[in-house]
Amino acid sequence: GPGILTRTLLNAGVRVVALESNSAFLPNLQSLENSLDGQLKVIYGDFFRLDPLVSGTVKPPAMCSDKLFETMGVAAVPWRADVPVKIFGILPQRKERNTLWRLLFALYECSSIYRYGRVELNIFISEKEYKVLTAKPGETRAYQALTVLWQIGCEIQLLHMEPWSSFVTNLKNGGLAVPKSTWLPNDHLCLVRLTPQQNLFIGGLKPTNSATFIFMVKQCLAKPRSRLTDRLNSWSLDNTGKLLRELEIPKNAESRHLYPEDYRRLFEALQNSNVFSETWFHDEVLESIRNINL
Amino acid sequence: MSLLRLRAALLGPARLQGAGIPWSVLRNYSSASAKEKARRNATCERTELLEVLKARVKQLQASNVPEVTVNKVELAPLVNDKYQDPLREVVAPGPKEEQPAPKGRDESLARPSSWVEKLKKEMHVRQLKVERKLSIAASQLALEEQAKVKPKGKVKAKAKAKKSLKSPKSLKSPKSLKSPKSPKAKVAAAWSQSHAGPHGVYAHGKPRVAAVKEGAKVQRPEKVDKDSSQDKILQQTIQSNLECFLFLQQPEEAERFLLLYHSSPAKRRLLNVNAYNIVMRNWARKGQLQRINRLFSMLESVGLWPSLDSYAAALECMGRNQSSAKAIRRCVQQLKNDGFHVDELFQKCLFEEDEKEKVLRAIRIVQPNYQLPPPPNPQTCKSSLLWDFYSKKKMVSYPKLDFSVQELQECFQQQLEMELDNTITIESVESTKPLTPQAIKARELLATLRSQWHDSILQALQKSKQSMSKLKMVSGYNILYPYLCLLPDEEYVGIMLQILNTLSPQGESLAVLARELGSKVYNRYITQRKLRSRQLEKVQEVYEDYIHLLAKDSQPNKYLPREYWEKLVAEAGFGPSLNLKDCSWPYMLLMRLGMHMLELMVQSVKVPRNILNPRLEPRLIPILYHIYSFRSSWQVGLIKPHPIFSQIMSDAAETLLTFNSSAIPMLCPPVPWTSPHFGAFVLNDTKLMRFVDGAIQHQLLLEQCPPVNLHPVLDALNQLGNCAWKINQPVLDIIISIFNDKGNEKLDIPPPISEAPRPSAAPSNSSTWNKSQKHELLLCKKKTAEMHSLRMDALYKLSIANYLRDKVFWFPHNMDFRGRTYPCPPYFNHLGNDVTRAILLFAEGRPLGPKGLDWLKIHLINLTGLKKKNALEERLEYANEIMEEILDSADHPLTGRKWWMNTDEPWQALACCMEIAKASRSPDPAAYISHFPVHQDGSCNGLQHYAALGRDLIGAISVNLMPCNVPQDVYSAVAQQVEEFRKKDAEQGVKIAQVLQGFISRKVVKQTVMTVVYGVTRYGGRLQMEKRLKEIDEFPEEYLWEASHYLVKQVFNGIKEMFSATRDIQNWLTESAKLIAQSGRTVEWVTPLGLPIVQPYYRSRPTVLNCGMQNLSVKSSNSNQKPDTVKQKNAFPPNFIHSLDSTHMMLTALHCFRQGLTFVSVHDCYWTHALTVDIMNQICRQQFVALHSEKILQDLSKFMLEKYCSPGRETRALWQKKLMEQLSNVPKTGEFNLKKVMDSTYFFS
Repeated sequence: GPGILTRTLLNAGVRVVALESNSAFLPNLQSLENSLDGQLKVIYGDFFRLDPLVSGTVKPPAMCSDKLFETMGVAAVPWRADVPVKIFGILPQRKERNTLWRLLFALYECSSIYRYGRVELNIFISEKEYKVLTAKPGETRAYQALTVLWQIGCEIQLLHMEPWSSFVTNLKNGGLAVPKSTWLPNDHLCLVRLTPQQNLFIGGLKPTNSATFIFMVKQCLAKPRSRLTDRLNSWSLDNTGKLLRELEIPKNAESRHLYPEDYRRLFEALQNSNVFSETWFHDEVLESIRNINL
Repeated sequence: MSLLRLRAALLGPARLQGAGIPWSVLRNYSSASAKEKARRNATCERTELLEVLKARVKQLQASNVPEVTVNKVELAPLVNDKYQDPLREVVAPGPKEEQPAPKGRDESLARPSSWVEKLKKEMHVRQLKVERKLSIAASQLALEEQAKVKPKGKVKAKAKAKKSLKSPKSLKSPKSLKSPKSPKAKVAAAWSQSHAGPHGVYAHGKPRVAAVKEGAKVQRPEKVDKDSSQDKILQQTIQSNLECFLFLQQPEEAERFLLLYHSSPAKRRLLNVNAYNIVMRNWARKGQLQRINRLFSMLESVGLWPSLDSYAAALECMGRNQSSAKAIRRCVQQLKNDGFHVDELFQKCLFEEDEKEKVLRAIRIVQPNYQLPPPPNPQTCKSSLLWDFYSKKKMVSYPKLDFSVQELQECFQQQLEMELDNTITIESVESTKPLTPQAIKARELLATLRSQWHDSILQALQKSKQSMSKLKMVSGYNILYPYLCLLPDEEYVGIMLQILNTLSPQGESLAVLARELGSKVYNRYITQRKLRSRQLEKVQEVYEDYIHLLAKDSQPNKYLPREYWEKLVAEAGFGPSLNLKDCSWPYMLLMRLGMHMLELMVQSVKVPRNILNPRLEPRLIPILYHIYSFRSSWQVGLIKPHPIFSQIMSDAAETLLTFNSSAIPMLCPPVPWTSPHFGAFVLNDTKLMRFVDGAIQHQLLLEQCPPVNLHPVLDALNQLGNCAWKINQPVLDIIISIFNDKGNEKLDIPPPISEAPRPSAAPSNSSTWNKSQKHELLLCKKKTAEMHSLRMDALYKLSIANYLRDKVFWFPHNMDFRGRTYPCPPYFNHLGNDVTRAILLFAEGRPLGPKGLDWLKIHLINLTGLKKKNALEERLEYANEIMEEILDSADHPLTGRKWWMNTDEPWQALACCMEIAKASRSPDPAAYISHFPVHQDGSCNGLQHYAALGRDLIGAISVNLMPCNVPQDVYSAVAQQVEEFRKKDAEQGVKIAQVLQGFISRKVVKQTVMTVVYGVTRYGGRLQMEKRLKEIDEFPEEYLWEASHYLVKQVFNGIKEMFSATRDIQNWLTESAKLIAQSGRTVEWVTPLGLPIVQPYYRSRPTVLNCGMQNLSVKSSNSNQKPDTVKQKNAFPPNFIHSLDSTHMMLTALHCFRQGLTFVSVHDCYWTHALTVDIMNQICRQQFVALHSEKILQDLSKFMLEKYCSPGRETRALWQKKLMEQLSNVPKTGEFNLKKVMDSTYFFS
């Protein structure tokens, strides 16, 4: 776009690497780059098309994260180390939710940008998605699988809220190209900081089994009002009563009533009871990865 | 006195003179009903106004006599008549009904007296208005000959509409539209003329009532209640529930259920007279006249009128317990008073079991000499296209099958037995493989497990039923309970186990499984009902006579199958009772039932976990698990079998397949279609028109259509269904041998799963896999899943073919909503792929004749896809040239030079090679008896119809409507045209035109040209072009977008140039559909053969079904929803063309039959014997010319103008003007002389 974000960052005096996906804007940016003596680096690429899942050659503006990090000169650091790089951006409204899911998968797998450590995201998202990310158990509509997974995965801070009305539009009717929201408020664009949790991978959760965790949470919250016991039973797990007792989760608890941390404990308990090693569960997890990735 | 008068007015006309209804009824119910009415209408005032209006209307009716200013005194005598009624004196009320009449008056006194005051005041105010309305309405009656609806409800509705109130009564149920109302007024009038006196006065008024009703109907805007679609489903649910109780013979339950609704003012509006009738029939069967009387009074108390069926139930009951003549006479009298005729009982009621006999007995008690009314005279279709066909003079006898009556009788028995079992289990073609010890072990294991599963499912079912029935005692009602009682428990268990056997390892979506379970129960229930109602008996009886029409050893008959069947039914005196009363279950209910059964299965079917791996601890785990799969924005619930179960199943490699009996072709000639409800299979319920689940528009439309209009379509379907088939055994054997070996993807024989790709080296621990390994594994899994479904599909087809190998069989046909015909059995039929078509032969053999062998050869070359641009003679020459290859293929299909394998349709080519070999080696090829079907294909059939509609000269030439020496190719012609445009542009310096030099070919434009008929847009066309250009390696990538954009524009221009009228017609159709849909209506039209068509595209909102395991979102479409404008618009041109091509096919089918030809079709591909190809070709061309000689577009325009812009509609909005203009403006046509088609060799070739 016109580069307001980039200019603000430059004015703040930080070193900036700008990813530009539209070649029309490149020349201007490049001339800016030349005039700034190394404070700005411009790359033709699209942050939201990093590491495309289709096999074959990657055509710009799609690009691979290792190329990007190499160009930026950022090396991978251990997970528990400090934030290696901060990323600023605006999520494209049209595929906001998809992008959030893809980032989430990368986070839990420590792949893509998260291979380089706890990369901090500072992104503008719509208010409705912000509401989802920060929902509390029991909040109808807002409390979703995405909520649980992001809350376990990251510290979520709201930095700024900007009303939609501050943005110009290119639609003929003067309206905003913002998807309508029926259930959740959606009047702002929210700048949210997502910092991956340092202790995400202590305990039973590991990048290698995290797909199972994601799968489990999604299955539970597919029908938020269903009882947890029913869900567990429907996966042919037996003795759910005992399991829930041990976790001190009431027998009649509904999926939407569990705190994110409860899901984590549930996962660890199931992991220990070897339930997930059953072949079918494993297959389903694989299947779900395929579905999310497409 | 005035009070009494008001009461009388409120009670409606029948009460005034009908002595049959006991006054007790009034005492019990009427006052309550008035109160409830008041409550229902929220404010008293409105009610009062309503009553006033009603009273006024009443008055005006009664005063057909000049006096308009009727006052109380004048009306009073009418009421007094009641007591002076001579009939009443004759027919004294039966003892149980006797109640002193004055009580009724007492009740009415309880009404607030302010009413009367109001009435007086209001009367004068409203009088004028009502009168004006009445006269308008009456004049409209003359125009409209529509079905009438109950006076009370309607008058009310009108009054309400005036005050813009929402009226629940305004719901027009399909039943009330269908029920025979229009003769009512006539009958009443006729009857009244024969009776002098006060009755006459009233009866004359009756048509007026109708007028009011009509007026109300016509004037009411087309606004629909928001909740009425929901209501409709509920109504249907109530009725099917009551039907269940009738089936279970539980009248108490039925009545209890009815009362649940009846006694609640809010729910009562869901009941219509049919609901009450079902309960009446239930009591009638038990001979409980008292109960029926009670129901009559209940009907009345809610302002409903008894229908013919109500009287039938009452009379049946009287006949059953031999009631007194008095009672019966009273009942008959009341029936007549309500405007019915006794004869109608036997002409219109769908009697079951012994109902008819009992009604007849009752009638004969009062009229000992009563004779059943004669069957209506068969009507003949008047369509000009079929005038010839139906004219009796040219009638020839129906072609005989090569079977004796005796043999056909045996065939019928076999078919009947199969259908009575509902399912059939056959050996799969894999059964020839040797059995491994592992398989034997697995089968034993499976057998033990199955018996355990059987027991546990049975237990779970019984437990759930028990808890349901307990629940029922305590509170309300469980909607599913009766549906779980219809069949013996064992049958439900059987159905569930059957589903378990067919579950694929990849699982299945909940909705699909639920529907399957639900409809299996439904089908068995229908079978049971047909048995119980003696419908089957009657069908059997008629069928036995019917086959004389087809059998070779019987007298020739000059009837069509349908006509003959109708004649036999009439002779047997069955009337309409061969049809079952409408008893379909709402889609929601089907799903609910299925979900319940699915839940039972998931809960109860278990297997020890350690069954395959003894090291694990022994505990039972369910073999079905429920899981969600996420697809972009929505989630789908799946039921998957546990891998343990899949493993056992695949180890056991069972070779028995179980099918629904309707999946197997019929073993006897199908029952001819005689109505939208009756035809095809003997027992299996088959719809004349296929439609998506939950859609009812098509069925409604067919029901409303005069039966005679459907005759051509029904006859065509019967003709297609009567073609007998047999199996080409040598070809089948070769296919099976490859199938049981390793399959062959190139020859379209799916390989077994054992041939599926495996991931190269999968480490045991999945967590260490890298991305590419996971990717590979996923690809393998996907491929395996695809292979599994392809393999199963082929297994089904081949196994059914193998089962039929020595039999003769038939494919009953039905059609889609555009009239395109399809064989009903889903897996194995002649519409299938190359493999299935190759194993089908006509059961009837015909000599090749002088030209037959040549046709076989030409057919072979057509199948190869070679020599497409050559004349027929050249194709024949080519066949003769390669005779050696042909014979080699025939003699050594798998070991020889395998010429056949490299053709477009290898299996059909092989079959044809074999036929040619046999024929050419026979001593006299002309006398060789061939069973081989030879095909003739329309060349770009959609464009053919367009070109003929628009009489486009150039277009007609390019799609072979014009005689030419060699076949024309429309795609090359368009490519040429585009190339010309390009050259011009290139010369003028258009860059992209220069870039495209040398890239424009037939292949590039073909897909777009083909899909133009089906309404492809510029957008879609550009995508197609881009794809084609991408396939050309040399094409510079950076120009893709621009080039495809340019090309699609030029292709459209090219088509416009060649088919100028075609584009106009297409645009006209699209634009008309758009305006119609925007006006809130769906696009409807009638084919030249008289088939009514409606486009079933609505903006439907899914309904969420709350089930225990998962909420299911079910799409239900119905006529109350708004049409989907985009779909209505875009789909209209292709649908219209399809309705024309189906008409052409049906015309050809019917006329081929008249010439004694065997004829079947795969849409625009027509099949017949080699001997008769020439005759078929001639008929095909004749009928095409005849069809397009009709004023098709003008007729369409006329029909639509009438339908959508009839002057009676009060709104004269802008859109209507626009629509009228659009519809009247029929596109102009070109110069092409249609007759030329007659001589065009390559029109169909």
